[in-house]
Amino acid sequence: MKTLITLAWRNLWRKKRRTLITVSSVLFAVVLAIAMMSLIEGTRELFIDSVVSKTTGHLQVQDVLYHDEPSMDHTLEYGEEVKGALEKYSDKIDYTVPRIQGFCLGAKDIGTRGVMVMGIKPDIENRMNNLSSWIVEGKMFSDKDDYAVIAEGVASLLELSIGDTIVLIGQGFQGMSAAGKFKVGGILEFPMPEQNNTMVYLPLKEAQWFFAAPERLTNLIIMTENESDIEILAKNLSDELDDEWFAVKTYEDLMPDVLTAFETRDAQVRLFSWILYVVVGFGIFGTIIMMIHERLREFGILLSIGLKRTQLAIICLFETLFISIIGVVSGIIVGFPIMYWLNRNPIQVGDDLAEIFYDMGFEPVMPFSIAPDIFIYQAITIFIIAFVVGLYPVRKVFKLDMINAARN
Amino acid sequence: MKTVIETKDLTKIYNSSVAPVKAVNKVSLDFVEGEFTAIVGPSGSGKNTFLNLIGGLDKPTEGQVIIDDTDISGMKESKLFDFRLKNIGFVFQSYNLIPVLTAKENVSFIMLLQKESKAKMEKRAVEMLEQVGLSEKLNSRPGQLSGGQQQRVAVARALASKPKFVLADEPTANLDTESAFNLLDIMSRLNKEENITLIFSTHDQRVIDRARRVITLVDGAVSKDEKFESRK
Repeated sequence: MKTLITLAWRNLWRKKRRTLITVSSVLFAVVLAIAMMSLIEGTRELFIDSVVSKTTGHLQVQDVLYHDEPSMDHTLEYGEEVKGALEKYSDKIDYTVPRIQGFCLGAKDIGTRGVMVMGIKPDIENRMNNLSSWIVEGKMFSDKDDYAVIAEGVASLLELSIGDTIVLIGQGFQGMSAAGKFKVGGILEFPMPEQNNTMVYLPLKEAQWFFAAPERLTNLIIMTENESDIEILAKNLSDELDDEWFAVKTYEDLMPDVLTAFETRDAQVRLFSWILYVVVGFGIFGTIIMMIHERLREFGILLSIGLKRTQLAIICLFETLFISIIGVVSGIIVGFPIMYWLNRNPIQVGDDLAEIFYDMGFEPVMPFSIAPDIFIYQAITIFIIAFVVGLYPVRKVFKLDMINAARN
Repeated sequence: MKTVIETKDLTKIYNSSVAPVKAVNKVSLDFVEGEFTAIVGPSGSGKNTFLNLIGGLDKPTEGQVIIDDTDISGMKESKLFDFRLKNIGFVFQSYNLIPVLTAKENVSFIMLLQKESKAKMEKRAVEMLEQVGLSEKLNSRPGQLSGGQQQRVAVARALASKPKFVLADEPTANLDTESAFNLLDIMSRLNKEENITLIFSTHDQRVIDRARRVITLVDGAVSKDEKFESRK
């Protein structure tokens, strides 16, 4: 086998220029494919990190009707059943984030504004999305406080400052009116306009009192230990909780439109990468055809003097694999530092596009991932292509008429 | 003397679009150990086909090829590969060395396929290259050798594994006179010293003049079979 491999390796360098051109084509395709896959994966990571982790969480437990009709009447009781189920699967759960939220009317003097009132536990919310980091004035409340922290857009529209009072009016639990006055103790400035123009935060207890829904939540967010646990944990909790009252939703259930947009874009990129793979495949195939046809006579001789067809086929297959290995390895060697640099220094997108990114809840950057899977996937894909291409010379060898080949 | 090759009514018919062509027609011949035979005849007389048949490269339409008491006519391809590897040496008109291997590696190649030990292989390859006068070119690749030198490497390759006989297809056709004589001297010497049976297909008078047996084929059949025992 060693001799066959040596022969294959040396054959590769009989026409150095041609081999190098083929290797280069594989290299560029690998780098380009890695870049595309890295962008897809990077966007997904950013989505999970900046949107999922900071808004919906990995999973949510809700009242069974809340997703379709989000109202205070469809809040869930955070009681023994839910706590027991969470306890049972605590090994997969990193932490939970309780929230109660509802649309209300916010007012000061004669100015009114539709706002989203969200009752939170500040410590755990900070752990999830570092909410306090957006404070630009005043300070974040603690669980024991009773003041509100509002977004800068709300403050601006209602002309509210620290120490002013915001009046909130909305619908409470089971037909109760939700009405209250809260001092403004802090102002947050969010980059995303939708969030910046609507959010009003209250301590969880205050919000439950405001909505007349003590011990009730609109959603209980669950952050898993590992992203890979999301699906299985969702199933486990669904099995554990009474489906007449509770629904367990993954972030995919909660943001189907965004995910569909991602999937469409991913499909386009994947299609483009497959076109690239086809081009690479034909590039290698062209070289292999030339390498085989100009050596048919030599093949005939080798078979005549005693080399077996399987041995000759192995030589040919190794030649194809060597080209691919060199191309893939050099592609990864070139591609990894570029992706690493882009991962550390994401490309900032332009102003117009940045707005779109903000609207979707993203930082306006093009993120690149350096997850090992991306590189492994490229390597495996190119090897599969090379192997398929390598079957051509194998077939040729097994069908070769050695007398004609040796004579001509 | 032991018979190395025996052909019985050996016939090869090619089916052309016009009419079947009898390339070899009922040829029955014996070749004994240590013979130096030239197969001669005009183009299309069936020399190469006959050589391919006795070399196990082609299958006869009728008749038998018996090598060392083994009938190879009906042998399966995989068995024939092994049989050729162990019993037959080939020298071709265009040298046909493996371009990416050195002279020593080319000579070792058949022994390598025969799974000989590395030490034995190395020793024999060096010994054979010395015998053909190329001890200085052990590590040269074919591209660095002249045509005559390449053919000498090819002869060393064919003989290194000590085959029962060597088939040489016009080995001097591409060589100048000096290289051709040089090669023939080497082959004659090896024929005598190692008692190797040599069968040439040739047009070359220089080869015919050296052969101790000359078989003339015309239209696929033996027209003359002459022996010149006095030739050394």
